[in-house]
Amino acid sequence: MQAWYLNENPYPFVPQEVLDRADSVRGSLPNKYCDPKIAADLFEEALDEYLLCDDIGINVVSNEHHAGINCLFGASPLILGILARQTRNVRILSLGTLITVRQDPVRVAEEYATADVICRGRLEIGFVKSGGTEMASGNMNPVGNIERFWEAIDLILKTLSHQDGPFSWEGKHYTHRHVNIWPRPWQQPYPPLWTATGDPETSAELGRRGMVNVLVFRGPEETKRAWTAYRKARAEAALPEPGPDRFGYAAFVYTGETDEEGMRIGSKLLWFLNTGLKSAPQYSKFLPGQISPQLAPGLYRSGGGALRPAAALVGITAEQAIARGLMFAGNPDTVVRQIREFQAKAGNFEHLVLASRSGFMTHDEATRGLKLFAREVLPRLSS
Amino acid sequence: MTERLTVRDIDLDVLRCGAGRPLLLLHGFDPVPSHAPFLERLGAHAEVVAPSHPGFGRSSRPDAIDSVYDLVRVYLDVLDRWPAERVAVLGLSFGGWLAAELASISSSRIERLVLVDAVGIKVSPPDTPDIYDVFNRSPHDVHRRRWHDPDRWKPDFDAMADEELIAHHRNRESLCRYAWHPYMHNPKLRPWLGRIDVPTLVLWGASDGIVSPDYGRAYSAAIPGSRFELIEGAGHHPELEQPELFVDRVVAFLKE
Repeated sequence: MQAWYLNENPYPFVPQEVLDRADSVRGSLPNKYCDPKIAADLFEEALDEYLLCDDIGINVVSNEHHAGINCLFGASPLILGILARQTRNVRILSLGTLITVRQDPVRVAEEYATADVICRGRLEIGFVKSGGTEMASGNMNPVGNIERFWEAIDLILKTLSHQDGPFSWEGKHYTHRHVNIWPRPWQQPYPPLWTATGDPETSAELGRRGMVNVLVFRGPEETKRAWTAYRKARAEAALPEPGPDRFGYAAFVYTGETDEEGMRIGSKLLWFLNTGLKSAPQYSKFLPGQISPQLAPGLYRSGGGALRPAAALVGITAEQAIARGLMFAGNPDTVVRQIREFQAKAGNFEHLVLASRSGFMTHDEATRGLKLFAREVLPRLSS
Repeated sequence: MTERLTVRDIDLDVLRCGAGRPLLLLHGFDPVPSHAPFLERLGAHAEVVAPSHPGFGRSSRPDAIDSVYDLVRVYLDVLDRWPAERVAVLGLSFGGWLAAELASISSSRIERLVLVDAVGIKVSPPDTPDIYDVFNRSPHDVHRRRWHDPDRWKPDFDAMADEELIAHHRNRESLCRYAWHPYMHNPKLRPWLGRIDVPTLVLWGASDGIVSPDYGRAYSAAIPGSRFELIEGAGHHPELEQPELFVDRVVAFLKE
């Protein structure tokens, strides 16, 4: 098994009364609440954690969100540039640049190719569909997002792999008449590709394309459903059966010396759900284009449902998160057992993404948990 | 009262009522409710034809129809096929934008133009929005800004049938598809309003919090010879909040 460390680099130091008063902690919270000196310390800590991972054999993940307390990494390629130079050993996954809120996918491809060259071929490229507050902060139409997503991917892949001088792209959403990036990527025809989704229809398309399908905080049932759609689509297209290296799962993970410590510190990760997800209805359930209008009645009536699967989890306890396969926490034996149980339910997978620092967890706590995971858990999962 | 109208490959749902001079009614955020009192009053003076835009109400929307550019051409087609030589065009809110685009392209089939709390142009400096953001702002604030008497018009989603809620969501999705960016306007339209050469009335709800009366005055100032009038006691939807005053003003203008 391959482990991948993800720290979204949240900014939890906003007074609670401000967060309680705000209708959204993403998208519209004024940035006067973000002290750049504290932010600088957080960046330093997060990058140090990534460098630790480079030493102990845990791959690293860079992600991207905008305008909120949940994530200070506003541009994945910028962070990739740092990781590409400062790490020397592990693989680097961008999961990912929010391609549907970027005006020009060609620039994203150029930035990815550059990072891949700097790190001499250690880059992996992940795509995420985006949505929610990102549509407002990215000024992009939420309607038609999925169409833009696939067209952007097609353009990025052609840009990365085309080597014979300028080509022209005149699509529905993107036009660029003179595409010719320098450098081209180190890896040929391009770095390995991932997409984060739990939507079976999207998973089926990933299957046809052979991309890694990673699910984020979805639990074993939804994960199995997505991977079944992936396998089925490949079988229907007469493509070879996928190996476990085509599947990944992202969970909250914390390894302590004891079960008590693992649970106590690991439960701090749930800040991501309990505080970091608060989002106003216009950015979430009432955001146009996210669901078929046929499903609308449930949204509008009293007690109407949440749109993002994770949003339904607000208020969850550590015990519940573990029972639902969203979190693996405890002493090393316990963490190994929980992950094995998840695999038994969802199916075998090669990539485990460790969401192992969030909220008020300290740098020191995160560091200890990662070291213990690398020493006591990872070797047993790999054997 | 409803019928179907086929424009190329688009199947439009059309509300038709009344008799008299022909009037094309272009709706705003939602199709005109068939039971709206202003329709009946207006129908005493005009033959009102009110299509639901593609993707709204029960009108279809082929994939290729996804911009205001497309909608304007749909309605150019509607006007071209109209049996009457010339038609009055009345546009509400988002439909006012469409009406202004149509009239600035060609008024050969347009007899008179009425713009009601219309969106569509840019007036203020870049860092001053002219049109309240109905997508990025809270539904509560948007509602309060739409109505002079918001409590009276508060939607009761629990009491609405599935079909109504589905239509509501689809209307909003379609509006977003057409008007997200640039938000609710065409940066190029304002200077071309000078081409409009038919009598024009710009009607505005005095309490409109989506587009202010000053925005309406600027709209009117850009259309040669047009007249600006306020309707008291109405927000963004004077046709619904003040149907009598609204119809009186429109009919007086049509009869001039």
